[in-house]
Amino acid sequence: MDFRFTQDQQDLIDAAKSFFDGENTPERMRKMAAGEQVTNLWPQFAQLGLLGIMVPESAGGLAQQLVVMAGVAEAAGYAGVSEPYVEIAGITVPHAKEGELSGPIQRAVLSDLRPYIDALLAENGEALNSIDPLRNLVKAKDGNDKNVDSVNFHGAVLTAAQLIGLSQRMVDMSVDYAKDRHQFGKPIGSFQAVKHQLANVYTQIEFTRPIIHLAAIKGGAAVHNAKVAAIDTAMLAAETAIQVHGGMGYTYEVDLHLFMKRAWALCGEWGDRNYHMKRLEDYVLNGDAELGPGQSFA
Amino acid sequence: MDINYTSAQKQFRAEVREWLATHVPKTRLPSFDTAEGFELHRDWERILAKDKWGNVNWPEQYSGRGLDLISWLIFEEEYYRADAPLRVSQNGIFLLAPTIMEYGTEAQKARFLPPMASGDEIWAQAWSEPGAGSDMAAIRTKAVRDGDHYVVTGQKTWSSRAVFADWCFALVRTEEGSERHKGLSKLLIPLDSEGLTRRPIAQLDGDPGFAELFFDEVRVPAENLLGPEHGGWGVAMATAGFERGLLLRSPARFQAAAERLVKLYKEHKHRLSSGVGEQVIQAWMNTERFCAATYQLVSRVQAGASISSESSANKLFWSEMDRHLHRTAMTIMGAQAELEEGLDAIDNGRWLDGYMFSLAGPIYAGTNEIQRNILAERVLGLPR
Repeated sequence: MDFRFTQDQQDLIDAAKSFFDGENTPERMRKMAAGEQVTNLWPQFAQLGLLGIMVPESAGGLAQQLVVMAGVAEAAGYAGVSEPYVEIAGITVPHAKEGELSGPIQRAVLSDLRPYIDALLAENGEALNSIDPLRNLVKAKDGNDKNVDSVNFHGAVLTAAQLIGLSQRMVDMSVDYAKDRHQFGKPIGSFQAVKHQLANVYTQIEFTRPIIHLAAIKGGAAVHNAKVAAIDTAMLAAETAIQVHGGMGYTYEVDLHLFMKRAWALCGEWGDRNYHMKRLEDYVLNGDAELGPGQSFA
Repeated sequence: MDINYTSAQKQFRAEVREWLATHVPKTRLPSFDTAEGFELHRDWERILAKDKWGNVNWPEQYSGRGLDLISWLIFEEEYYRADAPLRVSQNGIFLLAPTIMEYGTEAQKARFLPPMASGDEIWAQAWSEPGAGSDMAAIRTKAVRDGDHYVVTGQKTWSSRAVFADWCFALVRTEEGSERHKGLSKLLIPLDSEGLTRRPIAQLDGDPGFAELFFDEVRVPAENLLGPEHGGWGVAMATAGFERGLLLRSPARFQAAAERLVKLYKEHKHRLSSGVGEQVIQAWMNTERFCAATYQLVSRVQAGASISSESSANKLFWSEMDRHLHRTAMTIMGAQAELEEGLDAIDNGRWLDGYMFSLAGPIYAGTNEIQRNILAERVLGLPR
């Protein structure tokens, strides 16, 4: 029992984080939202091994567990990565059929994954508009994926991980703003009314991350718990952040909205709160599973 | 990441479970905040100590088993699963003992740890004063060096278990004219010392769970100084770290309560409004989140990390989780919630007791307002 990332795992996550933070700046997000040309990151995702994190070594991947991908997804959430990188690397690629596995990765290495994704989207249905200006949504046809349970499992865990990354980003932006913004001759961050709200969000983040890690390794009820906890944390983070930013937070000019809208969007993805609470209802209230001490890691 | 117990840990769990099955008292002991209950809980400590179950993570030389903190968590899980008595020695074994192990001399370890482990000496905490609650650095109780003794004069309050306990660990001002965090020291003081008067304070339930302590020139041997003279604030913060961060409230206690809450819900389901079920699920979810976070913290501590300001988040989470859990039980019980004991009282009033105690959680070990300040200033970096 050592419920921590190993040094190698942590190094991989840290490397991904510095890449995401360095490349996907708010300036890049704004340009993309405005339809301007930006650096294409897909070849770099591939070259850095980030697309093959969950791919077997035999196919040229890093063969990492889902929990490591969750660490990377948290970092991607923090940076607000504009591309559906987490969904491709953590959901699509690991569930690609044999023979297809090298497909997306090879294409990305050769040039760009974008056409592959666009083709996939075009095949599936009509475009939808999200409040998140960086999400390309399509109305999907009913799928009949044989891997549906595993796909949903990856989806819920990795979405939860992105949500706490986004939550942490919104806390950090609020802290920066509260240190800078002065009223009554003081930074507003010196007022307890502001401090205590941000401390509450920090606490919720710290008590959501570990259950996401447990969910990624163990699956089961922990997955539903992780997703609901992440949703509640992210909504609290977003509402707190806009409150701390005051009127500025209500504008399109301040970067906060880019992260807040991503959080809203992801809350409903891969099982919304109702879906996961209903699963927990079955598990906790209507089932006969052992619920007390000693079962969490057993 | 590895979330598998070793085979030794699995075997240890089985061994603990078996021992508890044959030793845990069949009926719940009376509250340890009564004279009779206190001594019955002390007897239980002696039974635990006899078979070396009292402090499994302590070194063997101090009657522990020298096991790691994961094993301690396993022990706690089995302990609460068996509904074993609360630990009357908790202030000593969970708060003072780690501090003695870190700051104590070899002589102090040999003198204080064995009788603490055996239940022969039970400890109370003496930090707060009438004028020094959340603002603990306002401590005024003074200790003046006189030869090989300190002479202590002043007043302490909210000292849990002190009415019936044997010793207290106090934070006092040893440096004359010093202010705030400077000039404080930690002293170990027998509660039957001459010049020390205890005034019991009845808690919400009517039992004298804490005491006010009046020190009138109490002579304390200088060898009872724990850690550096005038450096007591640092020593006290180490204790507070243990208290808030890990040892005082392990997840098992809350997980056992959540399991009982689900049972209570099922028994009353037919008459509950639709939102109650969600509160019950939420209570259970919180205990699982707390458990996962604790295993992660323990994994870090075992790898050499120390617990610092983030322990404040821990204290906030468990205290508010516990209050929410017990409030949900009060909601379920409805008209029966007010019954203290007797046949019509659900679980003989245990939920009501639990609810009252949960209201203390956000206050003791540093109020939650103070914890939020610590997080905001020391972790998030907001200005003072």
